[in-house]
Amino acid sequence: MVTTHATLSSVELLAIPLLPLLAALVVGLGGKVLKEQLSHWICCVGVILSALLSIHIFSQVADGASFYGNFWTWIVSGKLIIPVGMMIDQLTAVMMITVTIVAACVHVYTIGYMHGDPGYTRFFAYISAFTFAMLVLIMGNNFFTLFFGWEGVGLISYLLIGFWFKRERANVAAMKAFIVNRIGDFGFIIGMIAIWHYFGTLDYHEVFAAMPVFLAHHYALNLGSWEVSAITFICVALFIGAMGKSAQVPLHVWLPDSMEGPTPISALIHAATMVTAGIFMVARLSPLFEFSDTALAFVTITGALTAWICATIGLVQNDIKRVIAYSTCSQLGYMFVACGVSAYGAGIFHLMTHAWFKGLLFLAAGSVIHGVMADQDIRRMGQLRKYMPITYITMLIGALALSGIPPFAGFWSKDLIIEATSVRHMGWVSEFAYWALLSGVFFTAFYTFRMFFLTFHNSDRVPQKTKPHLHESPKVITIPLMILAAGAALTGWWGAKVLNLPGEGGESFFGHSIFVLPQHNPMITLEVMEQSHTTGLWLESGAVIFALTGIALAWIMYFKPSTIPAKMAKSFPALHQFLLDKWRFDELYWSIFVMPARNIGTWLWQQADLAAIDKGIIHGGIINGITVAARKLREMQTGMVYHYAYAMVIGLFGLLTWLALGN
Amino acid sequence: MSKISFPYPFPEHLSIIVPEMFIAVMAMTVLLWSLFLPKEKNYIAAWMAASACAAAIPLLLSQAGAIGLTTFYGFFILDAFAVYAKLILLLTSIFAIVMSIDFMKKEANAGEYYAMILFAVLGMMFMISAANLVMMYLSMELMALSVYVLVAYQREVVRSSEAALKYFILGSLASGIMLYGMSFLYGVTGQFDFQAIGIALQGVGHNGHLAVMVGMLFVIVGLAFKLSAAPFHMWTPDAYEGAPTPVTAFMSVAPKIAAFALFIRFLVEALPAVQHEYIPILTGLALLTMAVGNIAAIAQRNIKRMLAYSTIGHVGFALLGLIAANADGYAGVLTYLTIYLFMNMGIFAIIILMRGKDGFKGELIDDYAGMSQKRPIYALAMALLLLSLAGIPFLGGFWAKYAVFIAAIEAGHVVLALIALLFSVVGAFYYLRIIKYIYFDQPRGEFEISDNSTMQVIVTVCTIMVVVLGLFPGPLMELCHQALIGLV
Repeated sequence: MVTTHATLSSVELLAIPLLPLLAALVVGLGGKVLKEQLSHWICCVGVILSALLSIHIFSQVADGASFYGNFWTWIVSGKLIIPVGMMIDQLTAVMMITVTIVAACVHVYTIGYMHGDPGYTRFFAYISAFTFAMLVLIMGNNFFTLFFGWEGVGLISYLLIGFWFKRERANVAAMKAFIVNRIGDFGFIIGMIAIWHYFGTLDYHEVFAAMPVFLAHHYALNLGSWEVSAITFICVALFIGAMGKSAQVPLHVWLPDSMEGPTPISALIHAATMVTAGIFMVARLSPLFEFSDTALAFVTITGALTAWICATIGLVQNDIKRVIAYSTCSQLGYMFVACGVSAYGAGIFHLMTHAWFKGLLFLAAGSVIHGVMADQDIRRMGQLRKYMPITYITMLIGALALSGIPPFAGFWSKDLIIEATSVRHMGWVSEFAYWALLSGVFFTAFYTFRMFFLTFHNSDRVPQKTKPHLHESPKVITIPLMILAAGAALTGWWGAKVLNLPGEGGESFFGHSIFVLPQHNPMITLEVMEQSHTTGLWLESGAVIFALTGIALAWIMYFKPSTIPAKMAKSFPALHQFLLDKWRFDELYWSIFVMPARNIGTWLWQQADLAAIDKGIIHGGIINGITVAARKLREMQTGMVYHYAYAMVIGLFGLLTWLALGN
Repeated sequence: MSKISFPYPFPEHLSIIVPEMFIAVMAMTVLLWSLFLPKEKNYIAAWMAASACAAAIPLLLSQAGAIGLTTFYGFFILDAFAVYAKLILLLTSIFAIVMSIDFMKKEANAGEYYAMILFAVLGMMFMISAANLVMMYLSMELMALSVYVLVAYQREVVRSSEAALKYFILGSLASGIMLYGMSFLYGVTGQFDFQAIGIALQGVGHNGHLAVMVGMLFVIVGLAFKLSAAPFHMWTPDAYEGAPTPVTAFMSVAPKIAAFALFIRFLVEALPAVQHEYIPILTGLALLTMAVGNIAAIAQRNIKRMLAYSTIGHVGFALLGLIAANADGYAGVLTYLTIYLFMNMGIFAIIILMRGKDGFKGELIDDYAGMSQKRPIYALAMALLLLSLAGIPFLGGFWAKYAVFIAAIEAGHVVLALIALLFSVVGAFYYLRIIKYIYFDQPRGEFEISDNSTMQVIVTVCTIMVVVLGLFPGPLMELCHQALIGLV
């Protein structure tokens, strides 16, 4: 690797987020004039250019270039000075290519998928704007630009989940996503304020540079009778933000519901990019998280719980997109576990491979849904491989990648996470995480192939009236599928080579962009073990064995029509129902949060606002008062000149009297 | 041959009065030449008058080197403040004259009309430069008499004559009150000159105090009448409604510029000694004016009457700048007047365009229903201008209010500024109501806008200025501060 510490071109860097923004603005404001064809051209060209530039940046970064700088000052408020700037290093570069390439594929796919939708141009404006916000999120050089992007992607996620705003369920899901994210964002804001409080700056470099001094002070907060070190407080607060955005238990409930949105955004936002923002943030802030064992343990437990719980829910779901959605939650849990055990590089690696194969699975599911006339229930599919061969093959690649079968992408990254977890010593935390992840692999393989077999094999259960419409999707849909399938097949191998994980012969690709304390680093342990050949068969292929078992079980139960699933559901009715009800998180939240909040809200609305303020103070007092005064003033304007003169003289004497009394 | 000895020497620095002389000559030229113009060519008189105002601007700027000088034995002063005030006055006058062309097309003797505007402009330019009670009175009368005639211009329209007569009677009353006040001031100080009065008032003891108070109050009332400050505002709605619409546009802005300029000079030069006494009076006037203007406007159905109350309301806000009684406040008033000029002229230009067949005059607020469907561009311009009048950021009107409110707050009048803020909320109602008519209601019957390229230019210029000043108010505010150097 050549180590010329070149600086990247700031014009090129600015162009990467601004091209999609420009496209979004042009199409968003002028969509009606531009018509559909021009609109999708503008957006696709903008994002594809942005992807090409990102690849160029990545190749430069791979050669050792980097960038750090501010472009302009955005906000000045007292001591708080917020510039707009970028920080480009290896971590950012990996994220940039992942985001922009998946976004480009989704843009092209959308041309086919959203064809004929009345909101066609609006949809393109949204997804281009999303790409912009996501790029700001990852390219920024301070917490505030991170937050700007964070909120930007959240907003557009809301708009896109509720894209078909005439469907009530879509609106409810959009609100749910937004509100649950607000809870997480609250933690994020608290964390950001705490950083501002302790460091006096929001700039990454400055905060990271000030860490030794900050740690030396041993700041602590008293939360009631509970003393927390400041670094733990900051990291946990920020991680709560990540839990909202990246759908971690217990804030995961919005992600499955977000499937009400059009499928391209499920692929782009709710699988490949936005939901991974939390993982990116933790990796970006590794210089903070590394110094709080409590926070790392918290991250690990949350990730492991999510990985396991959501995998179990996925076992019984019947909506093709919901299965994949729960799988997304679960895989995000894997990534957080990777961060929690200080294998940030493995987490980002899995993020990248996941973006490919999960984006692929969603788009393939979209192709299926497109084929069966917008039905999403796998109970009404089956034998689709005859009609949709390309979708079938690409989805098979995606399913193998998700299950972690070598040599597909998921194998490389997931295996690395599990290995890292097994060698990192965090007491019961890493033990628990290890077993949760390993059993999760089994569940993942099972539900993925259950969904796959029910869709493409098993018996043909497609309703008669849909049959004539069954056909393979057009090229604009299948070509992105093939690109993503190539990625899902190859990025694991490519990633292991380019990213150089676990780090054979020195540093991994990420270099200094990710900070790991040497005593934490599971990668070093792994490397040592590999060199001394003490990893053992179990460690190396345990996950694959679990995955194959899961696939085999799915094959037995679902490849051909069979009565086993129904029998099993009957044998464990309570468990089956519990999983089908998604662990009853929604019901729990409904009764302890939503209902009380609604009741309070209704009372405030009806009694406090409408009755007391509107009718009482505003209407009774102010509006009536002003209306009466206006009428009186109008009546005083009689048109009689002597009345006017009288008013003048009275006014004069009034002022005279005031003057006289005042002195 | 014996030399004729004139009792006074030839006045020095006569050049500073050249713009006024030019306007006076041009006024008479327009008057005479128009006798020979056929009715269908009376637009020539208009363009002459407009170009006279336009040509006065370079003449005025050419005197920039003479800043601070006086002529006619101290009656007439030219300073940066006067130059700036005259600039915006001349700009207003150009707008008003150009707006009249289409309106006056069918009128006979339109030459008189344009000459009268020029005479009114002359009076107002003298008001701006007046440094002496005599000059002050004479210039105000010159302005007032011309405007009376302009209001009555449509002789055959009863409403017009009635309005003019009322205005004349009440104006005479106000002049009488002011003259009476001047006599008190002269009686106490023995001076006509503002600065001399200012110096003399500092030495007035307890005995003369009451006379000074009465004199001050009466003169302020005379000025308040010109500004339409309540309770001396009652002529305003009637006169605005009765006058031809271009005259309404003219008199809603130009005399306010002149009267505010004169007011500021009078307060700064003649009355600094009684500042603590006049501020409460102005505060009372401002409160009452804001209340009357913003509340009474709500009950109006005629847009010209509504804009009359709107003017009253804006005068009330601008008075805050005088109450602040410092450079920031006076600069705020100048900023206010500049932005107000564009807002009001733009609105009136659109109202004048709203004339169609069958006596459709666009004078009722209802007439604007559904404008956005028929004429979206005009509707947008009107909406922007109205939002600006309501003081919505980031349009010019917001900064106008901001400038005077902030000055009042920094001078310690926090409560007054808060009340003003509340009244601007009330005021927003009637502006937004018109926007509601424009955008959300269905057109009622025929809707016509007479297209006219000169008017389109005025609407465009005004709207763009309101938007641009809203986005970049800095240079204007800086300019207004510069204009006060030497005065305060």
